[in-house]
Amino acid sequence: MEYVEKNFGSYKLHMIKTNKFKTIKVRISFRNQIKKDEITMRNILSNVLTYSSKKYQTKRDLIIEAQNLYDASIYIGNSRYGNYINTDVNLTVLNDKYTEEGNYEKAIDFLKELVYNPNISGNKFSKKVLDIVKKDALTSLEGIKEDSTYYSIVRLYEEMDSESPLSYRMCGYIEDLEKINTSNLYQYYKDMINKDLMDIFIVGDIDFLETEEMIKEKFELKTFKKSRVSYYLPEKKARSKKIYVKEDDENAQSKLSIGCRIYGLSSYERNYPLTLYNIILGVGSDSKLFTEVREKNLLCYVINSVLNKLDNTLIIRAGIDKENIKKTVDLSNLQMNLMKKGKFSEEDINKAKEFFSTSLDSMLESESSIIDFYFMMDILGLDNLDVRRKKMQEVTKSEIIKVAKKIKMDTVYCLEGIKE
Amino acid sequence: MKKLKFEKIDTDCYVETLENGLDIILIPYQNKKDYYISYVAKFGSEVNTFIPAGGKKYKKYSNGVAHFLEHKKFEQSDGTDPFQFFAESGTGANAFTSFDSTQYVCYGTKKFEKNLEYLLKYVNAPYFTDENVEKEKGIIKEEIKRQKDIPEWVLEMKIREAVYREHPRRISIAGEVEDIDGITKEELYDCYNTFYQPNNMFLVAVGNFSIESAMAIIKKELGTKVNTQGKARIRRVKESKNVANPDMQLSLNVKIPKIALGYKMPFETFQIKDHVELDLYLNMFASLLFGSSSLFKERVRNNNLMTSFYYEWETIKGYKTLLIFAETENPELLIGEVEKELQNIETTVDDIERIKKVWISNEVKAIDYIESMVSSIIEDKISYNKVIFNRVDLIKKIHKKKLDEIISKMDFTNRAKVILLPNKIITKEQ
Repeated sequence: MEYVEKNFGSYKLHMIKTNKFKTIKVRISFRNQIKKDEITMRNILSNVLTYSSKKYQTKRDLIIEAQNLYDASIYIGNSRYGNYINTDVNLTVLNDKYTEEGNYEKAIDFLKELVYNPNISGNKFSKKVLDIVKKDALTSLEGIKEDSTYYSIVRLYEEMDSESPLSYRMCGYIEDLEKINTSNLYQYYKDMINKDLMDIFIVGDIDFLETEEMIKEKFELKTFKKSRVSYYLPEKKARSKKIYVKEDDENAQSKLSIGCRIYGLSSYERNYPLTLYNIILGVGSDSKLFTEVREKNLLCYVINSVLNKLDNTLIIRAGIDKENIKKTVDLSNLQMNLMKKGKFSEEDINKAKEFFSTSLDSMLESESSIIDFYFMMDILGLDNLDVRRKKMQEVTKSEIIKVAKKIKMDTVYCLEGIKE
Repeated sequence: MKKLKFEKIDTDCYVETLENGLDIILIPYQNKKDYYISYVAKFGSEVNTFIPAGGKKYKKYSNGVAHFLEHKKFEQSDGTDPFQFFAESGTGANAFTSFDSTQYVCYGTKKFEKNLEYLLKYVNAPYFTDENVEKEKGIIKEEIKRQKDIPEWVLEMKIREAVYREHPRRISIAGEVEDIDGITKEELYDCYNTFYQPNNMFLVAVGNFSIESAMAIIKKELGTKVNTQGKARIRRVKESKNVANPDMQLSLNVKIPKIALGYKMPFETFQIKDHVELDLYLNMFASLLFGSSSLFKERVRNNNLMTSFYYEWETIKGYKTLLIFAETENPELLIGEVEKELQNIETTVDDIERIKKVWISNEVKAIDYIESMVSSIIEDKISYNKVIFNRVDLIKKIHKKKLDEIISKMDFTNRAKVILLPNKIITKEQ
């Protein structure tokens, strides 16, 4: 795998050459500092851009064109990275070797058409399309509780800190949806195109020179943008005593989410010992939480922990019966305390290191994860693959214990099901 | 080993059947680091009445026993935990039970040989005790309850209940909470001894490994294993022609209503008797009518008539059923649109050729994903009892005239319908 980065001033082109895939993946990534009241607008914009364009007036025309390009696919997704909102426009297309000469270039034109030639007239998006997209969005926003796992996490974050981007709902807000019209959406679109930081990633069996020439010619942008705000959310200490929040739900099962704050880590600690700490505590089916809470005490069907380094949080999630809430929280707390006291073995650490190295290997088997990896490496200035592998192997038990002492439960949120 | 080629997509596959009947399918990749292994028993939730190994009479077993057995397979007599073993090399492991198969998988990038050997060993070492069976009941019941909180899952179960009258596909894979209490270690041993036999199992591996060492391990572990009996004798029920319940409505904790439709058609309807070919034609029909580039989709999208929509064809002995699932705020309107579409079917060569192009592209893309390669091989083996190597050719041969003939014979009147409504709507109506 070879990696080349070209800085064109207004955006960076990242090219990764590998012969592992029969497809080529292109990602245009736009990002800017996140504002709560713009999230809904951004979601709507993404859906409007993939609904039609100047050249392809209907969604069906657009899908037919994608199918004619040997089933090229375009997908837009929005996500939050710490203080930033990120819009990824992804194209996946078969390599010309498996289709016909010129198909890859045509697919890039297609991608460009959707992003840079939207269906507008008189500085307005099409009202018909906007209405359709808004109505669908309203239906899903009204149904937010249907995905109880997602809903319980969102609610947990809101209880942890309702002011911070941590609590922003990436699905958007009904009250913001109502304010969106064809002209303010166009204004927002122009702002995104002109003011957002932008990167283009291309991974696949490509020719660096050809690809560079093609991208430079097709994406000739003049604006110069610079990032000022840090990606990391400011650190915050956990409350001195954790709070419990509950909400009733009609499902049989209860969704428990425990939010923990991570405070005072060095960048080394965050990228190395913390990763291993999380694997040992709650990733996979031989983690402390899984073996102790599920296997030995039969308190739940699923339990795991999820780390968010940019937010300095760690979340424990479990699906349980209502009467086991307190017991599950106490047992999870006990597992965290045992880790602080060093009650885990060298074998646990070695297994976690193996797990990490396998995840790195598997990451290289997916085009999306390769892009994610280089993206994070670039924006956060992280170590490269080889350095990362080596440093992770050298993490010691005392380093993990030191990190364990800096993680504390803050808020327990439970979406309480019907008691059986 | 026989070397076969997936035609037109340039991928080799090595197959062998051991003397005891175990089928082995290996696809080694040179440019990948990861591997995925699946060891499959042709035994799933819809096998519930059979003559157990060593027995003489048919016996009915608890619903959900195949899934229970899958959970208990992770119990080892020496107390070791297979998850732990795999985790030592950073390898993932899991198991899945479906209507017609149970598979045990491991996947990773390291220690292929040791992990393959262990996978074969632990799946072939049953250890069921009264105590460990009892202990599992709580976990399984929790899993069943958890599924009932997932509206999509409820819909999938209910539509099968509405389509099938007698066939066990109408029973949920994990069974009901009350079925679980009846499961005993004796039931588990009977199932294991009857179905976890070389002549009823197969092994698939795709990814980074060497064929020679894989074969050496498989032969060492399973080469001398003998079957405890011949082909398992299962009692198959005869499914009646009409759907069980044409109109089912229930309320659930959903915010947006959901619908499912099932069009059940006897196999005699179709003049193509080869299931592989027939399934391609049936999917082409569904794709033209309801796929993303169909006029139907364009219409319902533009009228905000659905927030999700998907379909599949399902086979049981003697029948093909078209299942349609959707989430919609207007169940009756959407169902009306589907029905309208079925009354007036027109196909065009352009559309057919374009869908073929999409399918062939997908065959090529799938090779990059070892997991999807494994699952498509398992699907072939379970549905057709063979791996399909010439699918691209079969796709190319799909012809408008033949398709139109098939469509002209289809009967859409034998329909089951399930509507899931939000709890509060039902309350209001009362």
